[in-house]
Amino acid sequence: MTSRVITAVGFGLIIAVLVLLEVLGRRRTNKIPTTGEWLGYVMRPRAGRALILLGWLWLGWHYFAR
Amino acid sequence: MAAENLPAPPADTADPAGRPGRGMPADPAQPRPIRASALARVPWLGPRPARSLLVGGIVVVYAWVASASAPFSTRALISVLIPGAILGAIAYGRPPGRIPPPESIDVAGFSYWMVALALLFEWEASAFRAGATWWHPTLTDLINPLLTPHPVRSAAFVLWLAAGWGLVKR
Repeated sequence: MTSRVITAVGFGLIIAVLVLLEVLGRRRTNKIPTTGEWLGYVMRPRAGRALILLGWLWLGWHYFAR
Repeated sequence: MAAENLPAPPADTADPAGRPGRGMPADPAQPRPIRASALARVPWLGPRPARSLLVGGIVVVYAWVASASAPFSTRALISVLIPGAILGAIAYGRPPGRIPPPESIDVAGFSYWMVALALLFEWEASAFRAGATWWHPTLTDLINPLLTPHPVRSAAFVLWLAAGWGLVKR
């Protein structure tokens, strides 16, 4: 197994964990918030809202303008 | 006399607008009634389906045109900044009806998210620190080849715009 594969598998595992957290959050059998819930909570203050929107803009710039 | 003793017709045979009920022939002298739009029955289109479809069409066309821009070009930069400016103006100038955020969230549940995201950034940083070579690719290095075909890139652009709108609604 090359280090490239290990790196890719690592990303895959972490993304799988993020998806799993979202699924668990939607099942309502535990206290894990969904992405929308924790993002909404973080965006309650104006600064949090601005930071998250800037993060979204950076993501667009990173993948579509570069 | 006989007509006066007839029972009232069932409610579903005619409506107050004078349209024929079920099983009754349409009066050719009457103008054809406008049927309720089938779009109005699609819940995810919202209360104004025609406007939603129009905006959706504009977004798809914009994404198709924008994702055709050459990387590192001014056009590519502007095509990303325009939706950013529009959504920023909507978010702070005319915010739409927002989904109410929770008053509180469970700290332990939130921490799972933060740990997973921290791991993602750490893994990305280690790949970046290694020089983002073929042996240690960053997430961007892995995703960029997938985004090369124009339709896929356009779909990703639409997803990015939809995510932005979702954030504005939060």
